[in-house]
Amino acid sequence: MTATVQPRRHHRVTPDSHDYPTRSYDLVKEFVIALVVMTGLSLVLAGIFSSPDDPSITMSDWATNAPADVVATAVGELAGTTTSATYGAPYNHASEGQSVLGLKLQKWGGVGNPVDSADLVLRPLRQENGNPLTKAALAQWDSLTPEQQTAAATAYADALAKAPDGDPAQVAKGDYGPLPALAFSFLRLAKSGGLEGSLTSSGDFYGGDATRSMLLLSDGAYLEDAAVADRLGGDQWGMMNEVGNYPGQPWMWLYTFWYQVKPFSTSENADAQVWMLMMGLTLLLMCLPWIPVLRDIPRWIPLHRLVWREHYRRRVG
Amino acid sequence: MDSVFSAGKYFTWGVVSISATNLLIIVLMVVVFVLALVVPFPHGQPDPPPVRAAGDDPHEEGQP
Amino acid sequence: MTAVSPPPERTWTAAFKDRMSRTLPADQVLPDRQPAYVASWIYVFGVLTLAGLLVVVASGVVLSVGGSAWWHTSGLGHFVNSVHLWSTELFFACMVIHLWGKFWMAAWRGHRGLTWVTGVVAFVTSIGTAFTGYLSQTNFDSQWISGEAKDGINSIGIGGFMNVLNPAQMLMWHIVLLPLAVGVITVLHILMVRRHGVVPPLGDEEASS
Repeated sequence: MTATVQPRRHHRVTPDSHDYPTRSYDLVKEFVIALVVMTGLSLVLAGIFSSPDDPSITMSDWATNAPADVVATAVGELAGTTTSATYGAPYNHASEGQSVLGLKLQKWGGVGNPVDSADLVLRPLRQENGNPLTKAALAQWDSLTPEQQTAAATAYADALAKAPDGDPAQVAKGDYGPLPALAFSFLRLAKSGGLEGSLTSSGDFYGGDATRSMLLLSDGAYLEDAAVADRLGGDQWGMMNEVGNYPGQPWMWLYTFWYQVKPFSTSENADAQVWMLMMGLTLLLMCLPWIPVLRDIPRWIPLHRLVWREHYRRRVG
Repeated sequence: MDSVFSAGKYFTWGVVSISATNLLIIVLMVVVFVLALVVPFPHGQPDPPPVRAAGDDPHEEGQP
Repeated sequence: MTAVSPPPERTWTAAFKDRMSRTLPADQVLPDRQPAYVASWIYVFGVLTLAGLLVVVASGVVLSVGGSAWWHTSGLGHFVNSVHLWSTELFFACMVIHLWGKFWMAAWRGHRGLTWVTGVVAFVTSIGTAFTGYLSQTNFDSQWISGEAKDGINSIGIGGFMNVLNPAQMLMWHIVLLPLAVGVITVLHILMVRRHGVVPPLGDEEASS
């Protein structure tokens, strides 16, 4: 009677590294040399190539260089049609936002940073005391019902879009209520240089949070036009790039790659989808030691034979 | 709108677009990686066996 | 009849010391010998990454003396910013080459899976640290990057908590929270390498039945 033969399971057991012959190796000296090398290289590269410092776009820059864009953006905030006005969480409830695999992550995050897009225009105007034109326009705006406000803003926005170069001075005659006056006051405030302050500090002495200024600026075309001219746009591999010829972020190549190809390049949920994909790939990388096939690639493509060639030679000989 | 800023030099093949600087960095990294694998590393041999002090080992050379 | 004194109570200090000694014996923390197979230039990229990290931190410390807007108006400040940028590029380059080497050596073998995991976590956390750094430049770059990045962060529902449009928050993540995280993970990673030793060559495995 024979015993049942169990199938042999071959487990590779990696030997203990402490069982090998050793030789002297000065770790501290190696570290000091590494520190000298990295410090030296950093200083030399910094000295030769420096670093970019393109100045921020101020509201005054925006108003001076692209006044039609400022006006169109301001009217869009009042009409509720800008990107921020229709964004959804964390700023408002205007949209459900992005979802991935049926998970409405953006909505579930909640409105944790509420911003009223109309207030991006109205609050600075209200804080600007003393200007009779502004006060009258605001009074007229406040006297309208919300439906009337939206209708007037939408009508003026449409008229601006039809005007040559979006120039407010060439808008077709019509009844746009207080919109032209509000837009004009806002443009003047922006040109004066006071807009960031009233958006960032919002009545307090100390600012620090640029959310409102950035949302307003991002609602216009000026910032994006500047970025696209610098190859920093989302569909230009922009996440990897830097202004001019400066080094960018080469390590972001895979993250930005997905935005360049379908289905992500045409998807409304691209951000959430790419994020989930990259989380999955990162998890894959992290769990590599336990993933069959992937963890065997180093055995199939034996670059390691170069690393340990002396060792293999000694073992054979 | 006139852009104050200007983009650097870029290479484009189909959907791929990469700055000259980034491409150079990546190429250099690959070159350095290959060099690290092939360039010989000094002191690759295990140390020779230590020389024992006299009297420790009866099989030591020089002992009667 | 003599009274028997109770055994001395083991102090927390003694217990902690014993635990540490068992986990990482003193002669393994900083050995002056290595296995003979540690003989390739690929092995220096770990310590180069560590050294790069220290240059990044040191240049960051100098920048913190002047404050986040110092480098716009000071020539010295701009140079230190350049050192911070280039040491970051070198840090990432060495870390990735280190990753390539460790992959092709299958360095996770021999119970070194956690070493690999901490390495990947260090990589990802470093990317997050660099990202908040780009947000803290107080110039056109940080305007554009924050405007774009907010869409990614908001899309997964954490925008109310991590507001990339708020430089006051992002700067503190960059100089306090994330460097601490990178530091702790790096220390764990290195201690694990010391504990397990450098992985033996592929092909030296014994098959066990």
